[in-house]
This record gives sequence, C-alpha cells and structure tokens, in this order.
Amino acid sequence: MMLAIDFGAAGVVVVNGRFDAAQCTAAQSFLDKVQGTVTLDCSRLEYISSAGLGVLLKTQKRLMASSGKLRLTGVNRHLQDIFQYSGFDQIFEIESAR
Amino acid sequence: MEAILAVTSKLAAPFELRAMLAEVVSAAKQVLDADGGSVWLYEPDTDELVLEVATGVDPVRFPLGAGIAGACGRDRRLINVPDCYADPRFNPAVDKRSGYRTRCMLSLPLVDHKDVLVGVMQVLNKRDGVFDADDEVLALALAAQCAVALQRVRMTAALIEGEKLRQELEMARVVQMSTLPASMPRVPGYDVFGTCRPAGLTGGDTFDLALLEQGLLAVLGDATGHGIAPALSVTQMQAMLRMAFRLGADLETAFTQVNDQLADTLPDDRFITAFIGLLDVANHRIRFHSGGQGPILHYAAATATFTRYLPTSFPLAAMRITSLRPAVTIEMQPGDILLLLSDGIYEYCNAANEEFGEERAWQIVREHHGQSTARLSALLLEAVQAFARGAPQEDDMTVVLVKRHAGASASRTFARSFASIEAIFAFTAQFFEQAQVHGELLAPVDLVVEELFTNMVKYGAAADPGTEARIDMEAIDGGVQVTLIDRGVAPFDVTQAPDADVDRPIDERQPGGLGLHLIRRMVDSWRYEYRPQARESRVTFRKTLAGGQTPHNATTTGGT
Repeated sequence: MMLAIDFGAAGVVVVNGRFDAAQCTAAQSFLDKVQGTVTLDCSRLEYISSAGLGVLLKTQKRLMASSGKLRLTGVNRHLQDIFQYSGFDQIFEIESAR
Repeated sequence: MEAILAVTSKLAAPFELRAMLAEVVSAAKQVLDADGGSVWLYEPDTDELVLEVATGVDPVRFPLGAGIAGACGRDRRLINVPDCYADPRFNPAVDKRSGYRTRCMLSLPLVDHKDVLVGVMQVLNKRDGVFDADDEVLALALAAQCAVALQRVRMTAALIEGEKLRQELEMARVVQMSTLPASMPRVPGYDVFGTCRPAGLTGGDTFDLALLEQGLLAVLGDATGHGIAPALSVTQMQAMLRMAFRLGADLETAFTQVNDQLADTLPDDRFITAFIGLLDVANHRIRFHSGGQGPILHYAAATATFTRYLPTSFPLAAMRITSLRPAVTIEMQPGDILLLLSDGIYEYCNAANEEFGEERAWQIVREHHGQSTARLSALLLEAVQAFARGAPQEDDMTVVLVKRHAGASASRTFARSFASIEAIFAFTAQFFEQAQVHGELLAPVDLVVEELFTNMVKYGAAADPGTEARIDMEAIDGGVQVTLIDRGVAPFDVTQAPDADVDRPIDERQPGGLGLHLIRRMVDSWRYEYRPQARESRVTFRKTLAGGQTPHNATTTGGT
C-alpha cells in the first residue's frame, strides 16, 4: 500500500497508507501547497517513519511562520508512540483515534 | 460444687500428661478430703492399666480386670471399699513398694465422651473415716472432668507428633524442589521451559532441563506413594541421571543403570515413572526412553496434529532391566513442541469429579502453540485452575516443554534504493505471517528496518556498485531478530551515532538523527558488527512483546 494524500471534505487533508521514505517527495510537494491551519486526517494512516516526520516538520515550520499550523486527527496507537518518542507530540496538536 | 468448678478450670490448662494427672490427684484429695490418690491409664494395645502418677509411687502395670482398679475399669463402675485389707480383690503389692498403708479407697472409671475407657482414678484414705454416698457423687463429677481433660491431652500429643512429621515432610519437599533447575538453559534454535507446582505435602514430581555434551537433557519423573518417600526417591533419581550423563553415559546406559540402581535400593513396592530424553540440537532429533511415563506428546506445527508416544519400558525401580527396547526418536520440525505433563495435570479432578484429561491440554496447545513455552505453560496451568473451580490440588503438577523455533529464518536481498521499501515491507509482512510473529510488532519492526535501510541508501554511496543490501529475519522467543547487512562499505557503527535532541523548540529541530532516536526507542537491543574481509556492516536488532517499548501513557521527554 502506497501513500495517498489529497483533500477530503471541508478542506481536511486525508492521508491514507504508509508514509515512508519512498513517499516523501510526493507528499512534500502536496503539502507545500497548503496554507493556514490545516487538519490532517490520519485515521487511515497506517505507518510513519522519520522521513515522513521530516515532511510534517518542514510543513509545520512553514505554516507557523504565517500563523498557521497542522492539526493531526485520528492518530492510531502506533503513530502516537512515534510522535511521543520523537517529541513531535510537543510540536503538533494531536487528536487520537477514538 | 465450687471446688469442682475450680478443678475444671485448672484441668482446662495443662497440655502435658504428667502435669495434668498431678493436677487431678491434688484436686481429688482436696475435694474429697483424702490423704492420697492415683490415676491409672488404660492402654488398649496391651489391655493393661498403667499407674503413671501416684504420690511417691513408681509406675506399675496390671492387666485390666485384676485388682480393685482392674475390676472398676473392666465393669466401668464406681467401687467404694471401706476396708481394703478385708477385700479379696485388693492387691497389697503397691503398698509394699511405697510403704503406704491403704485403709479405705474410692475407685472411679474414667470414660471419655465417646464412651471409651481412658483410665481409673483412685482416691485413698478419707481423713475422718470412710467415703460416703456424697463423696461418691462428688467423685463421679470429678472423674467426668478428668476424663475429658485426659482425652484432650492425648489429642494434643497426637497433634504435636503429627506436626513433627509434617515438618520432616516439608523438609523433604524443600530438598525435592531445590534440585529443580533454577533457570532454563538457553538452547540455540529452541525455546524450553519446565515448572513444577507442588501439591500441599504429597507428590513426588521432578523435572530436569539441562544442556549437556550429549545434547539437551529433558526429564519428567513422578514417584509413587505419599509422604516423604516419593519426594526423596525422585530427588535421588534426578541426581543419579545428571551424574550419569555428566560422566558421559549415553541414553541407554544412563536409563538402564539408574533403573537397576534404584531397583536394588528402593523398597519393593516403590517405583518412579520417568521420561528421559536427549535432544540433538543440531539435527533436531529427540531420542527418549520412558519408564511408564506417558502420554508423551509431539505437536507438529506444520499439520497442527499431535503424535502420542507410549512408554518404552516399565517404571524405573520396578525391577532390573534385562532387555531394553530401542529408544524412540522424534523429529522436531520448525514450530514443533514436545509436551510432557505429569498426571497431576491430566488427573486433576474438579468438584464434579471429572478429570482435566488430555483433550483440554491439546486444545490449549493447538490454540497457543505460537506463544513462548513459558507462556504456554502458564496458560496450561491457568486452564487447570479454571477447570478445577476451587477443587484442591491433590498431586504435583509438572510441565516440561521443548519447542523448536518456528519459521526459523528468512533472508532476502534488496537494491539500494528507496524504491525497495515497498518490497521490504512485503517481505517483513510475509515473514511475520509465516513465522507467526505477533502482528503488534510489525509496525515498529518496519520502522526500524526502514530507518536502517534508508541510512544505507543515503550513506552507502561509496558502496561497491551492484551490491545489494541483505535482510535476515529470525523468529525468537516472543518476537523477531533482524539483521541488515551492507556489503562493500567502510565501517560505521550506527549504534554509536549521535541522537536527535527531541526537546528542542520547533525552529531548531532538524530531521537528522531522528531515525536513530526512534530506533533506540523501538528495539529491545541492537548491535553493530563489521567484517573487514567482506567489508561488511551488520546491524542486528531484537524486538519482542516483552521488551523495549515504553508504555503508551509514559512521558518520554521533559518538555520545553
């Protein structure tokens, strides 16, 4: 399963699949275009590695420079571990999966 | 009556026979205003009356029925003799020995609450005349109290004797349990576990798991009988087996010699059922002899079926072995389990008097064969406990499990490119499925593999062209061990590389080093190895359910 990233309902960005090193370029070029406060629906994101985190970090820095930010929703348990272990839970607003 | 009550309370206290009898005699003298007294104890074994205490008189024995005391005990009737020397039943021998002159005498039978004769009490020489009808009533009340007190003393003595026996038994059990392996041997390619859950005081189970020159020794023994003997005889057998194998004996020699030795030394009615097997770790073969110990179960992982083996011989110590049948060989395929359970498990009875049986054990192994042997053993014992629904454990329960690691290993090479990542994930997922590694571990394992692999892609630019990276996977107890091998590269110990500072503010954070930080959080352990001849870098990590991962709710960083 590759990574699919696109706009869903109400301007939410939906990420679907596995966010690994091979997917970074495509994901980065998509996220480079978003503006303001962006909600990232992660409920179908199965996996993320440090490469994927790098893409999110770069995007967050750019958005925050113009008073925007990334909000992550529907984050599963494994992803929560990754965010916590990397300290990214202090950088992103994270809403876990119910 | 007051005097009687005082005596009653006095008699309630002593637990020692002599003190009790002295108390009775002194009470009787006081209540009946008598000069002397004595208590004869009845000994049912010899049908005699024995004078345990009399003031200033040595012990004397009489057959029941002889003399006045004998008649009193036999007929269980009070006898009041105003002038002893005028009574033909009177035996002056005691007087002669003590130098005391008995004038008048009241003899009372002591009968306990179960109407069993305990003894005879005699009160001698009323101070001002002879014993009258009032004295007889008082004496009977006293005798009743005395009999109850005597009975209590005897029961206490029996209890104390029982306690001594119990302590000796406990000691034997401590010795028995102390000879069991304190830790499980580490056997390459295998996962082994043994445990013995002793019943209260009876039972004679033992087991052994030890890596010797001849291979892995696996023993399960169960001695017959109750009390100290089985505990001691299995302990002896276990020690003899260890010694025989340490001295280099093969399976047949050890089995025969230990059997013959035990047959010569143990009492004729004692024997020990025992499985004795040796696993050839390199060739995955278990050869065994079993003296009456069964069923021996072999679970074949490939077909999810059990093969049930019967004993090869009679129980150890039953008699000398004159001809031994050939040993039986079990081939252990990946994932296979040798299952040895003592009959304390199979024959555990619940309140409805049903036995736990074999089927239930099979079911648990079928369902949980992918688990570690320690876990499987715990599940088996939990199942027995659940089945028992509170019914007490009557016999030792012993579990011995020998399991060959499932899906031992897989290996594949990949081109040094991010494009390989998808194929790598397919490989890990397939291995997890085939080796039945817990699915919860897949995401963290994938993450570590990806981080290490992308490092190879990024920093392996100097690698010899055309070489591929290799990934080896091996199922281990409760998880996996993964090795990433990079050929034609200079040494670089990734395990020593600096970590990312995950607590820095966002504008100071860089992605570099984050991968290594995550690896350190994910793995149970990792190590780096460089082989100069092949210019080969190997990074190996282990990930299991038991180890490593910080709990989900733990705070992992200090925060900024």
